[in-house]
Amino acid sequence: MSTATTPMRFTRELREICRAEYVIEDPARLQAAQILGVTPAVAVEPASAEEIAAVLRFANEHGLNVVPGGGFTQQQTGNTPAPIDVLLYTTRLTDVEHYDPGDLTIGIGAGCTVAQLSAKVGADGLLFAGDAPRPERATIGGVLATGMTGPLRHGYGGLRDYCIGVRFVTGDGRKGKGGGRVVKNVAGFDLMKLLIGSMGRLAIITGASFKLFPAPRQTSTFVAEFASAAEAIQYRNTVLRSPLSPICLEMVSPHAGELLPGGVRSGKGWSIYLRATGSDAVLARYRSELGAAISREVDGQDESEFWRVIQDFSSTLPERSPASVLISLSLPLADVLPALNELESVAASDHLAYAVIGAVGVGRLLVGLWTADQHANLSNAVFAFRERLPRDASANILHCQQEIRRQTSGWAKTPTHFESMKAVKPALDAKDILNRGRFLF
Amino acid sequence: MSLPGVVDDLRKIVGRDAVLHRPEDMMLYEYDAGVRKSTPGAVVFPQNAQQVSEIMRTASAAHIPVVARGAGTGLSSGAISHAGGIVVAFARMNRVLEVDVENLRAVVQPGVVNLQLSEYVSHLGLYYAPDPSSQKACTIGGNVAENSGGPHTLLHGVTVNHVTGVEVVLPSGEIVYFGGKAAESYGYDLTGFFVGSEGTVGIATAITVKLLRKPEAVATLLAIFESVDDAARTVAEITAEGITPAALEMLDGWTLRQVEAYCHAGYPLDAGAVLLIELEGLREAVDEQAIAVRGVCLLQKARDVRRAKNEEERALLWKGRKTAFAAVGRVSPSYYTQDGVVPRSKIPAVLQHIGEVSKKYDLIIGNVFHAGDGNLHPLILFDDRDAAQFERVMAASGDILQYCIDVGGTITGEHGVGLEKRDAMPLLFTEEDLAIMTDLRNVFNGNEVLNPGKMLPTPRMCREIAGRSHNPVLAQEGL
Repeated sequence: MSTATTPMRFTRELREICRAEYVIEDPARLQAAQILGVTPAVAVEPASAEEIAAVLRFANEHGLNVVPGGGFTQQQTGNTPAPIDVLLYTTRLTDVEHYDPGDLTIGIGAGCTVAQLSAKVGADGLLFAGDAPRPERATIGGVLATGMTGPLRHGYGGLRDYCIGVRFVTGDGRKGKGGGRVVKNVAGFDLMKLLIGSMGRLAIITGASFKLFPAPRQTSTFVAEFASAAEAIQYRNTVLRSPLSPICLEMVSPHAGELLPGGVRSGKGWSIYLRATGSDAVLARYRSELGAAISREVDGQDESEFWRVIQDFSSTLPERSPASVLISLSLPLADVLPALNELESVAASDHLAYAVIGAVGVGRLLVGLWTADQHANLSNAVFAFRERLPRDASANILHCQQEIRRQTSGWAKTPTHFESMKAVKPALDAKDILNRGRFLF
Repeated sequence: MSLPGVVDDLRKIVGRDAVLHRPEDMMLYEYDAGVRKSTPGAVVFPQNAQQVSEIMRTASAAHIPVVARGAGTGLSSGAISHAGGIVVAFARMNRVLEVDVENLRAVVQPGVVNLQLSEYVSHLGLYYAPDPSSQKACTIGGNVAENSGGPHTLLHGVTVNHVTGVEVVLPSGEIVYFGGKAAESYGYDLTGFFVGSEGTVGIATAITVKLLRKPEAVATLLAIFESVDDAARTVAEITAEGITPAALEMLDGWTLRQVEAYCHAGYPLDAGAVLLIELEGLREAVDEQAIAVRGVCLLQKARDVRRAKNEEERALLWKGRKTAFAAVGRVSPSYYTQDGVVPRSKIPAVLQHIGEVSKKYDLIIGNVFHAGDGNLHPLILFDDRDAAQFERVMAASGDILQYCIDVGGTITGEHGVGLEKRDAMPLLFTEEDLAIMTDLRNVFNGNEVLNPGKMLPTPRMCREIAGRSHNPVLAQEGL
């Protein structure tokens, strides 16, 4: 364990910016907020973007490392942080900035949880499509910074497809914004895109606006079982070539299926879970198109619980199997099966077990790898797998043990020009104040 | 280095016949579809990324501004060169490099015409979704620069939602890749950042786009209203029904009469407004939605709702919409079009306001627009020989934009900022917002060799402190 030492005068200044009651110095609370073994020296809970800007300007003056935090559902990813001088919670930024159900848009503070946002718009028959894991805790700011969403990605796209505006404070303490409140807007650079998935390295997101969708009035989930990944992928292709447009199309590998609770678990093979929305006539059409491959149909309460379990899988696996490595993959559609074959071969040669789950219709997968043998070299397997991924693949590690984390620093893979990404950072955070050393570089 | 010297260098890169520089040749390249003009010093036609890279190196070394140009159909002066600058025209980079059916992607050169891509993959049951009204002429490269939209963006999103990767030549001449064929890539989404950067970050030389499967069924409805107000209210009511049409377009009475005279699309001449509503998807879903939409329209006092019986009727209804600008061009020496966006619930109010602006400034203003997105296109008619009238046009336009901003909207939904709306950016963004955007542009284009002076206003302060630009052509213009 390491602890940064923040001198008393820093704490004094922070109290002036955020008020004393929102500056946390209680060692027990700070200990509880440790990130990958690093305990913050102090934590603050600013009430506004102005206060965040003041904290960051202060951090710039003194070269402090500031780590933004929301619901702490994804904080255990990335490299081990440099000593954390200030942990900055965005959880008090929960104001609704604009909302008229007729506009099908909402603007909300970064600290609002996904569950709160979904409940609010759900009451008006609308859907927020960012179905992040652990929605009761995950905040909007955190979901945007990490780009983590769930099975609805198949039908509604990623955050980049429906986040229409963003408000933020740059690492150098400037308040800025991109986009706005309307669904179509090309004024200025698309800063939503730049900040989604930027892992808190460029700016602290203080609020965002989203396009909402009419909530499905009726849904049903169809389950198909296959003996092999190849057959499951073939079925995926059949669905993608059909006129059907499901809202979720998820693939679950045999071991992933075992991690799901009893009611959700299906057979021992590879499963495809397809969620459709529409009238009775539309669902009947799904039944006839999907044909004999469907072994089960789930609706009602069971169906909601089922998708909730799938949505939370990225936290379930590390809880059940703390020694596992959890990898997030984004692949072109035709590369999914070859990547699964490579995974199979890497796992077999190192005697590892693996689980795969994900929105297979858009090439987004979560891959878990673990072993019962303490001496097996998990990080070697992870590197071997990375080497075999195709050119356009993206991969990053969401969870692993400390020892493997040290070995896999810099493991992440992306087709995007690395030096260009690196060049962007100093434009918004010249002194490297935000999340120092945690992601990419 | 002077421009003549650079012309020789450009010829060495692309060949003698691929560089134009005589004044009479430049006239074709001094305008786009907007209202401004500026004469370039040379136009160069590269055939590959390597040549674009060498052109950029040459121009950067000589501090001569460069602008990339597709078909010149843009409405915001985005592809207008600085006087004496170099236009990189993509007429010879117009090949579809790859159609990857398994991955539902195409890789295209920037000069590929939007509609031609859809036609090229049509036999595979696929198409490219963004469909600007100029899609018969405009290029994918230009669409990427402007993040173009079109009627069907209501369901499918704009260009950025359909671009997953770009090969980019940076002002330094370096060739880099952002993203690829996967739907999303890890790290900063520079693909998303690049789309809509209006040629101020780099030049795209290959673009990876999504291809969609053609829908099984399409229903195109024409809803006819006595008043603009009834039609405007119907827009929000349709979405309140839980229906997202593929397209939801409005033409007001004045505009539809011009269209009807021009192309006989079948719009009733005595209507106050029409909505053109398109639904697509599974046959069963489309039939149900068509019945529901018809019900909503009638409830909102539509006089009649017609459904196109076949592809021919559908094409005719769309022809009316897509040729509306041309139809208006027939009855007025000039028109100025605008691209503001308002939240959907504000459509009735903004149309009322435009009516008032029309009276206040004594100008004819037609409305034909993407109602489902709240994306307005008021067409303000004028005679360009009448300077006083043009001033009124600009004032009226400013008034409408300010109204859009006041109700929570924006100044441009799909045409881009360019030169045309550059000075309106401070109405929307603070000085600090714009400074952040400028810093980001400077990461890639710090000397402003690429498309200088576009999109981001030059802060007055900076100008006073820094004096004249280091860029000789800009300096000549006092920038």
